[in-house]
Amino acid sequence: METLQYIIRKLITGIPLLLGVTFISFMLMVYFGPDKTYELLGKNATQEQIDEIRHQLGYDQPFFIRYADYLKELVTLDFGHSDSTGEPVSGLLGRTMPISLALIIPGFVLGNLIAIILALTAAYHRGSWVDRLIMGFSVVGMSISFLIVIIAFQILLSSSYGLNLFPVRGWNMSTFGNYLSYVTVPTLATVFVSLGYNTRFYRAVIVEEMTRDHVRTARAFGVPPARLFYKNILKNCMIPIITRVIFSIPLVVISGSLLIESYFGIPGVGKVTFDAITTGDQPVLKAVVGMTAVLFVMAQLVTDILYRAVDPRVTLK
Amino acid sequence: MSSDQQPLLRVRDLVVEFNTEAGVARAIDGVSFDIYPNETVGLVGESGCGKTVTGLSILGLIPSPPGKIVQGSIEFMGRDLVSLPEEELRNIRGSEISMIFQEPMTALNPVFTIENQMTDVLTRHQGLTRRQAGKAAIEMLDKVGIPIPEQRIKEYPHQLSGGMRQRVMIAMALSCGPKLLVADEPTTALDVTTQAQVLEQISLLQDEFHMAVILVTHDLGVVAETCDRGIVMYCGNIIESADINSLFNHPRHPYTEGLLNSIPRLREKKVDQLPIIPGRVPDLFHLPEGCRYGDRCNRVTDQCRQTAPLLQSVTEHTAVSCFHPVTQTSG
Ligand SMILES: Nc1ncnc2c1ncn2[C@@H]1O[C@H](COP(=O)(O)OP(=O)(O)OP(=O)(O)O)[C@@H](O)[C@H]1O
Ligand SMILES: [Mg+2]
Repeated sequence: METLQYIIRKLITGIPLLLGVTFISFMLMVYFGPDKTYELLGKNATQEQIDEIRHQLGYDQPFFIRYADYLKELVTLDFGHSDSTGEPVSGLLGRTMPISLALIIPGFVLGNLIAIILALTAAYHRGSWVDRLIMGFSVVGMSISFLIVIIAFQILLSSSYGLNLFPVRGWNMSTFGNYLSYVTVPTLATVFVSLGYNTRFYRAVIVEEMTRDHVRTARAFGVPPARLFYKNILKNCMIPIITRVIFSIPLVVISGSLLIESYFGIPGVGKVTFDAITTGDQPVLKAVVGMTAVLFVMAQLVTDILYRAVDPRVTLK
Repeated sequence: MSSDQQPLLRVRDLVVEFNTEAGVARAIDGVSFDIYPNETVGLVGESGCGKTVTGLSILGLIPSPPGKIVQGSIEFMGRDLVSLPEEELRNIRGSEISMIFQEPMTALNPVFTIENQMTDVLTRHQGLTRRQAGKAAIEMLDKVGIPIPEQRIKEYPHQLSGGMRQRVMIAMALSCGPKLLVADEPTTALDVTTQAQVLEQISLLQDEFHMAVILVTHDLGVVAETCDRGIVMYCGNIIESADINSLFNHPRHPYTEGLLNSIPRLREKKVDQLPIIPGRVPDLFHLPEGCRYGDRCNRVTDQCRQTAPLLQSVTEHTAVSCFHPVTQTSG
């Protein structure tokens, strides 16, 4: 009950934030985004033709009316049709969103889970060769660029120069087997790239927590070391961990899916966005930008609720 | 305490070192003492003299790295804790020997309920089920004077006051009926009234549980009121050890005498620090060759500057490490 009230309150306070974010992005799109007029008319248009087109595009409306229209589109999820393909934008996103999620989630989840396990192991054996080995690998992982990792994995796993086990490009989710064969290499690349950063961060958090008084108390009461880690320390580390996980979502969504989808030729939201940017497909861009803003606000809400779940000192106010 | 009893704890020649960036710091340098069943021994000394490290050594809790017990033995009911394997030591921690710490605000885990933390100890050491442990924990909380324990036990540490948290710590420490309680400045963070209540609670329970208590404190008044014996530490050494009457009425070491002289009146107010004696404690990397107190001592001679005095028995239960101990009945 308390939580429900909190969620509602949080959603309401999220509205100004949402308005702010969409307003700024809309302003940027209007002033710096592509102007379709000349694209549609060519070079030698008459003033009447220009006015006519601008009227059709709604460019002659005052800024706030256009912004209000945009908000209406967001609320109704009706963004019109793509300029380049003519497909309804909502249909386009509805079709590509699941692909992107199915592509990104395994790597994201594994990249964090494995990192937490490695970090716990390193912290547990801190100072020993196990710790040094894990942290050494982290540094190596961190210093290789994402592009190189993608290309290396493609060559090693999906080309005739390497093991040639997986398809290089494309996407197919019709069966689970197909899904696995297409998702494996992108997932490995994502995990490889995020693992180093994540492990280092989580280890630092855990080692810091290990110096706390309550850990000494637990030891003074005979808690065995393994239990000390998975019970007494891990839960205390959850706030920084959750914060990192949630705040890395935008990065993963934007850079991750953009890069991966274009390098693996996967028709996800990243690819759609990329194409929309290059062709100036405003309806699609408006939809993507608006949905991203909503996603941010939702992520914040989820973070706050999770904080409360792991730390009783956080009050839902 | 009496001579015919076997000591419960026998610490001999304990040396603890820390590897720091500046070099090896010998935080405890050859400390020996006995603790007998049921007695309360006050451990006093200036900040940094090694009281906490001594307490932690007993439970094998010296943070390692950087610390290490490099020499000595700690015999507890016939077993040498220094050489005992870690698993066996874990079985002793919190059950036969308990330790409570100075900071009640941070000593408990903030993200678990009191119940969770207390039953954890009871199920591990006593083999109780969660349910039985819950009941035992409530009884224990009641014993340490926590009102409405069945409600309080569901709460998190941050919902309790400092005094209450320290009571919870005591309840947790005593829940398995330890033979020895190491209380490291258990009341320093509390206000005067709470401090008195908490100390009283410890004494009461001590009688009930027949346990010995090592009470680490800065407050000589507390020692005078609650302890049977006092051990005075200085710079990693024990410099005097005596029963409470001799210690307060006939201090033998000039340092002890200095401490006592500089207290205006015992129990007049809460003391967070030992009274100030002019001069500075030498740091562990630049120890003088002779007596470590030499530079601050008004009785210092050439002998003191050349050789360090050893702790020598004066009577059966008093010992002092000084070449020129204060002779009797000066006041
Ligand atoms: N983890 C550590 N690393 C390095 N040195 C340490 C460590 N813990 C303790 N020491 C050193 O050991 C010495 C004794 O410290 P200890 O904590 O026992 O003092 P104390 O008598 O309890 O002081 P206080 O009254 O301030 O609690 C100090 O000089 C301290 O610097
Ligand atoms: Mg201390």
